[in-house]
Amino acid sequence: MLFSVDGPYGVVSRSMLNGALLAIEQVNATHGATIRLKPIVVNPAGDLARYSSLCIGLLSQGVKHVVGCYTSSSRKEVIPLFEKADALLWYPSHYEGFECSENVIYTGAVTNQHVLPLADYLLERCGRSAFCIGSNYIWAWENNRILRERLAASHGTVVAERYFAVGDTDFAQVIAAILHARPAFVFNTLIGVSSYCFLRDFRAACAACGVDQAKTIPVASCTLSEPELEAIGAPAADGHITASVYFSSIPDAANVRFTDDYAARFPGGPVVCADAEAAYIAVRLLALALAATGGRTDVAEVKHAVTQVVVDAPQGAVRIDPETLHAFLTPRIGRSTSAMRFETLAQAPGPVRPDPYLIWNSPRFWTAASPPALRVAS
Amino acid sequence: MTAQRLIQNFRGMRGVLWGGPTMAAETLQATLVRLGMTPVRMQDIDAQALDCGRDVLFVDGDCSLDPALIGHAGCTVPRAPAVGLVGVEAPSRLRALSDLGVTAFLRKPVHAAAVYSSLFLAVNGYRRLRNLELQLAEHDRRRRGRRFLIKAVVALMQASGMTDDEAYAQLRRESMRLRMGVEDYAEMLVLRPGASLTATDDTRTITQERTDGTEQDDACSGHGDGRGLGDTADSQGGGADQARCA
Repeated sequence: MLFSVDGPYGVVSRSMLNGALLAIEQVNATHGATIRLKPIVVNPAGDLARYSSLCIGLLSQGVKHVVGCYTSSSRKEVIPLFEKADALLWYPSHYEGFECSENVIYTGAVTNQHVLPLADYLLERCGRSAFCIGSNYIWAWENNRILRERLAASHGTVVAERYFAVGDTDFAQVIAAILHARPAFVFNTLIGVSSYCFLRDFRAACAACGVDQAKTIPVASCTLSEPELEAIGAPAADGHITASVYFSSIPDAANVRFTDDYAARFPGGPVVCADAEAAYIAVRLLALALAATGGRTDVAEVKHAVTQVVVDAPQGAVRIDPETLHAFLTPRIGRSTSAMRFETLAQAPGPVRPDPYLIWNSPRFWTAASPPALRVAS
Repeated sequence: MTAQRLIQNFRGMRGVLWGGPTMAAETLQATLVRLGMTPVRMQDIDAQALDCGRDVLFVDGDCSLDPALIGHAGCTVPRAPAVGLVGVEAPSRLRALSDLGVTAFLRKPVHAAAVYSSLFLAVNGYRRLRNLELQLAEHDRRRRGRRFLIKAVVALMQASGMTDDEAYAQLRRESMRLRMGVEDYAEMLVLRPGASLTATDDTRTITQERTDGTEQDDACSGHGDGRGLGDTADSQGGGADQARCA
């Protein structure tokens, strides 16, 4: 288990670790189980160099299956190690796509399962002008590109894109710029504490101007989750739009069991979220695949086996696409509430095939950004 | 000039693999399928029918390939974008791939995570090169036509006492009315036996003849490129993609 339970995105990572540990305990407690999983937990604390050194240590011990990573930069950091050791990384987080490693099983959502449904929803319900604010790395860059393309195709505009270092918390200038620009919505790809600070400060700045932020300039993202709402705090937690394949408020019986079990096992939190469910799914899939191979951990055998099984996950049926090793997942759009949960606003009719390279969901040609309305005259 | 549009989605294209009958291409083929492409072997298709809008070549540098097989008469770029698969990094092998016109490399053994980048570079680099080549050819053609323009300007000046600016302005005006490049129009006037360059009415007579098609062969003599009346020099920029290598 490779999760940064400390550091800038520690809240979500703790929830992910909890989801994985819960699945392990359930697998081990299954009556008549033919396999038994033993977790080894390591914590890189958000430090990229520690991801490498910890992975080298795990793989040199003969570990063949690692569940973990949250940011794309950490995943990219360790993939070469898994390829060299012919081990398998079970990556349980949503990400920006354009990757298909033979040594990774992706159980989180890719762009056609999060940002594209979100863009369509925002265009239909909120308007055609966006202000993009994000943490300065690939997650934000690529999601903003995809949103920009979708907006351009619908004659919409991105009025500005602003990036901040991971962990930055000073947003006074950009908030003033947003209030001046008055976009139809803000697209937020900040992660961790940066996102929490921005949402708090933006809500307060809007209130000071007499603006109902949630109604007038809603903030939309593909990352905001239940434990993060608690980290943001009550005055600013509600009214944010999020695209996700899982919300803890899903009323289905499988999810009620999952959330009850999680709450009982981890009463101190953090509360369950989409990435925790993805980590839970990753372990459940791993267990099913290992059961199918008779307990053999060989990567080729497990990879083949995992594409033959379906897990009855809290979000619904989940299976792995044999072509891309990504998961079929059910996209949803939700709005945060003052109870620190999400109410579902829209939902796909069933699991959606992953399209990590957007071959079915993007135009053939790169879409140029709209030309600026003003030009520098001198 | 409009900026070159980049291709980012390769769905529906063919990956044409050249590496001999023993080529080990499992990773490359699987990755091309993930990118929405169809992998085929060069030996299974007609190389003369390669289509730059549909095909991308993957040529193993360790396996000789005659450049003439994928080349295009009059073009320095091959018939379709090409990626060179590099096994031995010796100058002779790299030069062979360069002579074939590859616009990107992939190191052997092929790593799946490198294929999209190479494909992106190969296809968009090829399109940029080919457009530059077509623009260069068009500029050459127009440069050759400048001597007819000079002759037409001089003839108008001598026949009607115009200044060179006035003569050029008239030629330009009439060529635009006919939707022709001014060089083409001047060439038509100069090469047409007995054409009068003095009066606008006379020019209109020529216009009428061309519209009727009665003077078509005569008008196009000296071109040899079969361009129609609608293909003005000014319209070549947008249509350059289809002009020669299609």
